[in-house]
Amino acid sequence: MREFINLTLGGVITGAVYAAFALALVLIWRSTRIVNFAQGAMGALTTFIALSLIESGQSYWVGLVVALLAGLVLGAVIERLVIRPVEGGPELNAVIVTLGLFIAIQALISVLFGVNQRAFVAPFSTIGFTVGDSNLALSPNTLFTLGAVLLVMAGLVALFRFTRVGLAMRASAFGQEVARLLGVRVGRMLTLGWALAAVVGSLAGMLIAAEVTFVAPTFMDSLIVFGFVAAVLGGLDSPIGAVVGGLLLGLALSYVRGYFSDTLTGMAALVILVVVLLVRPGGLFSTTQTRRA
Amino acid sequence: MTRSSRRLVSFVAAATVATTLAACGGGDSGGGGGGGGGSEENEASDVGITEDTIKLGAHYPLTGVAAPGYSEIPTGVQAYFDFVNANGGVNGRQIEFTYRDDAYNPTNTSQIVNQLVLEDEVFAIMGGLGTPTHNAVTDFLNSEGVPDLFVASGSRLWDDPEEKPYTFGWQPDYEIEGKIIGQYVAENFPDAKVGLFLQGDDFGEDGAAGARQFLEDQIVEEQTYVPGNTDVRPQISALQAAGADLVLGFNVPSYTALSQLTALQLGYDPQWFYSNVGSDPALVGALLARFSEGQVSDASLLDGVLTTEYIPGVDTPDNPWTQLWQRAWEESGQEGELTNFRAYGMSQAYTMVQALQSAGQNPTRDDLVAAVEQAGSEWEGPGFAPFRYSEDKHAGYSGMLVSRITGTTAEDLTPVLVTDNGDAEIEELDREATTPPESGVPDEEPIN
Repeated sequence: MREFINLTLGGVITGAVYAAFALALVLIWRSTRIVNFAQGAMGALTTFIALSLIESGQSYWVGLVVALLAGLVLGAVIERLVIRPVEGGPELNAVIVTLGLFIAIQALISVLFGVNQRAFVAPFSTIGFTVGDSNLALSPNTLFTLGAVLLVMAGLVALFRFTRVGLAMRASAFGQEVARLLGVRVGRMLTLGWALAAVVGSLAGMLIAAEVTFVAPTFMDSLIVFGFVAAVLGGLDSPIGAVVGGLLLGLALSYVRGYFSDTLTGMAALVILVVVLLVRPGGLFSTTQTRRA
Repeated sequence: MTRSSRRLVSFVAAATVATTLAACGGGDSGGGGGGGGGSEENEASDVGITEDTIKLGAHYPLTGVAAPGYSEIPTGVQAYFDFVNANGGVNGRQIEFTYRDDAYNPTNTSQIVNQLVLEDEVFAIMGGLGTPTHNAVTDFLNSEGVPDLFVASGSRLWDDPEEKPYTFGWQPDYEIEGKIIGQYVAENFPDAKVGLFLQGDDFGEDGAAGARQFLEDQIVEEQTYVPGNTDVRPQISALQAAGADLVLGFNVPSYTALSQLTALQLGYDPQWFYSNVGSDPALVGALLARFSEGQVSDASLLDGVLTTEYIPGVDTPDNPWTQLWQRAWEESGQEGELTNFRAYGMSQAYTMVQALQSAGQNPTRDDLVAAVEQAGSEWEGPGFAPFRYSEDKHAGYSGMLVSRITGTTAEDLTPVLVTDNGDAEIEELDREATTPPESGVPDEEPIN
């Protein structure tokens, strides 16, 4: 029973981590209609900037704020300089450009920060709460991770649903011409979308780093796949879907690894993805079906 | 048996590669008239060897996930070769050591070993690191007839004289390590419920197979991890749930750190026993150091952990071998401290010099292989136990000892235990501890 509880809690935590990553993918998809494969590398870069600050004696929170600001700038700069020239062309072009960015940014991290693994100390204790004579796989830090992910999700829902900026961003992503005719400054909205997505990606990087404990320039790589699966499960379009998709995936994989074998993890993720896409091609929470014409 | 086929292989290789034609002639005269000691003149007796140089090549992960720690090994090898070169080299020849980065990616390994053999024209490959990486090049090296000495991995793949006559292992393989660990646990913890924490490849499988020979009845749970999956909560939870109170880890250093932290989070406190690969206290300690400042109150999380050793490391600064490595390291003037990884590289370099000396003054590639087979088991070097080399056996060190990590040093719990693969008995080694020669450079007799 204790093992089941711990696997469940562990699954929720890894699920939250996948969800954090998926939220950034959803945000960029919603605001620019691009799947950003460089998301992981961008988050890794800002996490390493924060880690350098933390290692030089600054507090975690200074590092976090700097990481988020660095993400904001990085996202905006990349959109203006790299993505803008291919925007409006075939969608595949932009996707391929993000793949190239992924490799380039990862190399840049190695150049700037070295290739060695480094310890990332979580802001709160990672020692599980004690129940009876044993510890649960639930610690103050995992509560922080969960809380941060839920907060971001709520923020994104509110942004897109209740604010003019959110509406303008959605409009720019959908129909640039129409939006422009209606007075939306499409260029700025696209830049803003990338910048915000990069901020969420930076937060995901910080949360993920604390959960995986040791970080190297490639530490986000294994999460890209799972984060992507989580986002697709949720329909790529819905922040709530991304979080639910992440949690479902985290739970399923935790059970697979605890009761079967670690070697089946990748295969299990693929099976879940294929089944969901067969049954609900638009994802569990998709609304895109109605919008496609 | 293999001797004639090896000649044939090398002949075919020589015939196909135009550049080796000249070397073939040199090889004949070297083979016929060797053994004269210093009286003969140096000749360019084979590819990669000139009157005053010998070229050796290697592949290591200098970047990427496997780079931490392992990227230091070639700096140790280089430092010891520099030391030997400064003392006159081997038979008057200076050793030129070329190593390249494969980033622990087998595709890269094939490419750079091709480069080392065909472009750099090395005499031999030494200390190629990693099981999946090196496994990608053994066929090529054996078909080209290039000596492939002292692979830096404990896999049993390197001990196959029939199929891979040019390939030799060096460190104790994971199976005999598993046996020695298994017997120690069975004798000293007969009531322990044993859990296994294994890397999901032949490292974990061979180690577990060895341990199961002695612990079949005591093992209550077996968990594997896939390198790259950094969340080991499910595995540690399962070990905890199974009630394992002694966990054997056949894992790499970063997973030692991860398993320790995860166990701490779950309030799980078994006796840990990590195999040699995963227990480097310096590297694991560096990974855990930042945690010890905060939530881990005791600075040495690894205190009391059991492990194995087969060469002296930096935790024994008074050991004469460690002192020799320290001297060579300081003289080489490279950046950084002497580490266990550098000591490992120097130990391999020492064995390599012994092999080159045994191969005679004007050796061919086949002479080098013959030297390891014929003289290798007699060499005295830094290793606690002798090598198992013979014409039928290409496996490295025959044993190790069990020790307990206390702070930054380790306390020996057993004498050196030697054994062999399969159901061979485990015995105490009947030999005095070796010491390096005064000069720091070995002095082996040529075999022919």
